[in-house]
Amino acid sequence: MKLEVKNITKTFGEKEVLKGISFSVESGKALGLLGRNGAGKTTTIRILMDVFRANQGEVLLDGEKFDIRRVQIGYLPEERGLYPKRAILEQMVYLARLRGLNKKEAADNARKWLKRLGVEQYEKVLLETLSKGNQQKVQLASTLVCNPDIVILDEPFSGLDPVNSQILQDVVSELIEDGKLVIFSSHQMSYVEQFCEDIAIIHHGEIILDGNLTSIKEEFGKNQLVVSDRRLEKEAFAGLLSERLNSLAEVTGSSKEDTIVRLKEGVDRNAFLKALIELDNVELEHFETYKPSLNDIFIKVETDVSGVDEADKTEEVAKEVE
Amino acid sequence: MKRLWTVFEFELFSYIKNKSFIITTALICLIIGLGMFAPRVFDMSDLLGTESLKEKEGDSGEDAKEQALGIYDESGYFKDTKLLSDVFKDADIKSYDSAKALEKAVKKEDIKAGFYVIDDLHYNYYVINRNMMDESTYMFNEVLSTIHKQAYCVEQNIDYDEFSKEYEAPVECKEKILGKDAADSYWYCYALVIIIFMVIVIYGGMIATAVTTEKSNRSIEVLVTSIDSKYLLFGKVFAGAVAVMFQMSMILGCALIGYGINHEAWGDKLDIILDIPANVLVVFAIFGIGGFLFYAFLYGALGALVSKTEDINKSCGNLQMIIMIVYFIVLLQLTNIDGIAIKICSYLPFSSYSAMFARVGMGKVAAWEVVLSAVILYASIFFVGWLGAKIYRMGTLRYGNPIKFTNALKDIKTHEK
Repeated sequence: MKLEVKNITKTFGEKEVLKGISFSVESGKALGLLGRNGAGKTTTIRILMDVFRANQGEVLLDGEKFDIRRVQIGYLPEERGLYPKRAILEQMVYLARLRGLNKKEAADNARKWLKRLGVEQYEKVLLETLSKGNQQKVQLASTLVCNPDIVILDEPFSGLDPVNSQILQDVVSELIEDGKLVIFSSHQMSYVEQFCEDIAIIHHGEIILDGNLTSIKEEFGKNQLVVSDRRLEKEAFAGLLSERLNSLAEVTGSSKEDTIVRLKEGVDRNAFLKALIELDNVELEHFETYKPSLNDIFIKVETDVSGVDEADKTEEVAKEVE
Repeated sequence: MKRLWTVFEFELFSYIKNKSFIITTALICLIIGLGMFAPRVFDMSDLLGTESLKEKEGDSGEDAKEQALGIYDESGYFKDTKLLSDVFKDADIKSYDSAKALEKAVKKEDIKAGFYVIDDLHYNYYVINRNMMDESTYMFNEVLSTIHKQAYCVEQNIDYDEFSKEYEAPVECKEKILGKDAADSYWYCYALVIIIFMVIVIYGGMIATAVTTEKSNRSIEVLVTSIDSKYLLFGKVFAGAVAVMFQMSMILGCALIGYGINHEAWGDKLDIILDIPANVLVVFAIFGIGGFLFYAFLYGALGALVSKTEDINKSCGNLQMIIMIVYFIVLLQLTNIDGIAIKICSYLPFSSYSAMFARVGMGKVAAWEVVLSAVILYASIFFVGWLGAKIYRMGTLRYGNPIKFTNALKDIKTHEK
C-alpha cells in the first residue's frame, strides 16, 4: 500500500496555509511529519482525513483517489476527544462499528487494545473519571480498535509521562512491524528518529526537506567531523581551528563537548588529522564522523529557512519604503 | 444504512440511559396515572358538576353543611330562610338583624358571605375574598328575580304559575351536526397544539445540545472522519424522534388507561381532551412527527454553529421565535378554524405540523389538502435534513465565536461552487 500526497494547497480566507505539499509513504514504514507550530502539519493530516478539502492537489492510495471510507484508518487527532460521560468500552465499540466492524469484533478489539495499553480494568467506567494519561491511552486504543491499515497519529506523545510514552513507543513499533502504514506528526524528534524511515519537514506550508532519514543524516554529516581536545574548552578549540586550519576546514557548529567542522573541497580526513596533530598545544581526544541527530537537522534547516524568510521580509519592507 | 443504525442506536441509548429522562418520564406517568384516580379520593363534584362522594355514599348532606351564609333582609321577603336553603343546599343560612352585624360576621369569617337585601331588585353582597368560581350572586339573583316576578304577578293579579309556565317555556332543539362540532374538538386540538410545541422546543434543544457537546468535547473530529456526517445528524434526529414517541406514548398511555378506569368518576368530563377521534390522532402523528423532524434537523444544524453549550440560545433564538409565532397564530386561529390565516399555515412546513391537524380536528378540510400539505412537509424535511447535514459538516472544527446562520449558508454556497 502506497499513499501519495501530491502538491496539495489550502487557503483559509486569504491565508495560504499549504503551498503545495507532496510526500509519499508505504506500508511497513512510518513517515515523520515535522514542523514548527503552525507549519501546516495538522492541516495536511486533516486534508488526508477529509476533514478539510484541499484547494488543489490530490491524495492517492496505490495510484487511485484516496477514499477514507474504503480503507481502515486509525486517526488520533491533535485535539483529543471522546465522550466524557459514556463508558469506555461502549464508546470504543461505537467508534469501531462506525468504521464497519460488527459488535462482537468491535468489543473483542476494544478489550484487546485496552489490555495492551494497560487500562482494561476501566472498560466500564466513564471516561471523565480517568486521569489524563489514561484518557490518552483510551484515545489511542480507540484509534486502533478498527484494525487499521493506515495509522495517522497527530502529536501522539503530548501529555504522556515517560512510562506511558514507552508503552506508546512499543505499540507504534509493533504497528510498523505489522506492516501498517504510519504517518506520525510530532515535535519530539527523538521519537520520530526512533520510528520513522522517512521524514518531511514543513515550514510555512511548504516542504523544505523530505526523504529517507538515514540518507538525510548522511548528507548532513557528509565531510563533517566531530573533534575535541583534552585540555582546551570547545570554544577555545573552535577558535584555534578557525585561526590555524581554516584552509582545510570550517567550523560549522558544536555539540555539548565537541566542535563540528566541515572539510573543505579536496581535503581528506587524514590530511586534516595530520594537520590537527601537528598543531602546538593540541592533545586530541575525539575525532570521528559527524552523525547529526534529527533535532540538529531540524534546527539547521529551520534556521536556514527562517534566515531566508527574514531576508525576504527585509527586502519586502525595503521595496515598500522605496 | 448499517452505520446510520449504529448512530441511531448509540444516540437512542443516550436518552434511555439518561437518568433524568427516565425519572422525568416515570414521574410524569405516575403523576398523570395517579391524577386520574383523584375523583375517587377527593370530592371534585363542585369542579366536575358531578354527584359528590358523600351523596354517592347515601349521605344527604343535611348534617354537615360545608359553609355558612348570612342574610339581613330589609324587604321582608326572606322571613323564612327555607327559600334560600333550597337554593344554597350546602350552606347553613343565618339571619342577622342589621347590615353592620352581617358585615362584622363576614369579617370575622363566621360566615363565608352575606346578603343585605334592600328590596326585590336591590341587594348588597359581602365577601372577604371572592374566588373565580363563586356563583353565589348569580344564584341569589335568580332567587330575587323570582321573588320580583311573583310580587309583580300578585300586584297585577296574574296567576304566577301560569305566567311562569309560559315565560320559561322550554325551547327544544335537536342538533343535527352534519360536519364537526368545533366545541367538542376545541380542547383536544388546543392540548395537542401545546404538546407538539413543547416537544419540539424541549427535544430540539436537546438535539442542539448533543451536537454542540460533541464539538466542545472534541469528539466530532473522530466522528466525522469515521462516518459521513449526514448519518451522524440523521441518526441523532431519528433517535430523538423515537425517544419523543416513546415518552409521549408512555404518558398518553398512562392518561388513557387511568381515565378508562375512572371515566365515570370524572363524569366523562375529560372526554373533551382524551376522547380524540382516530383520524385526528393519525393526522396528528403524521404531522407531529414531520414537524418534529423538520425542526430537529434545524436545531441540529444550529447546534453545530456554536462551540460552547452556553451559546446554543444565541444560535437557536431565531428558530425558537418562529416556533413561538406559529404556536400563537395557530392557538388564536382555533376559533376561526376555516379562516385564511390557518389555511395558509396548514401548507407551510414551518407551521403545518400543528395547523393541519387542527383543521382536520375542527374545520372543513379535503383529503387532497391533507395529502398535499404532508407531501410539502416531508419534502421540506428531506431538504432541511440535507441542508442541516451540510451545515453540521461545515461547522465541524470551526471553533470560536458562534457562526451566523446566514454566513453558514453563504459558506455552503461557496463550497458547492
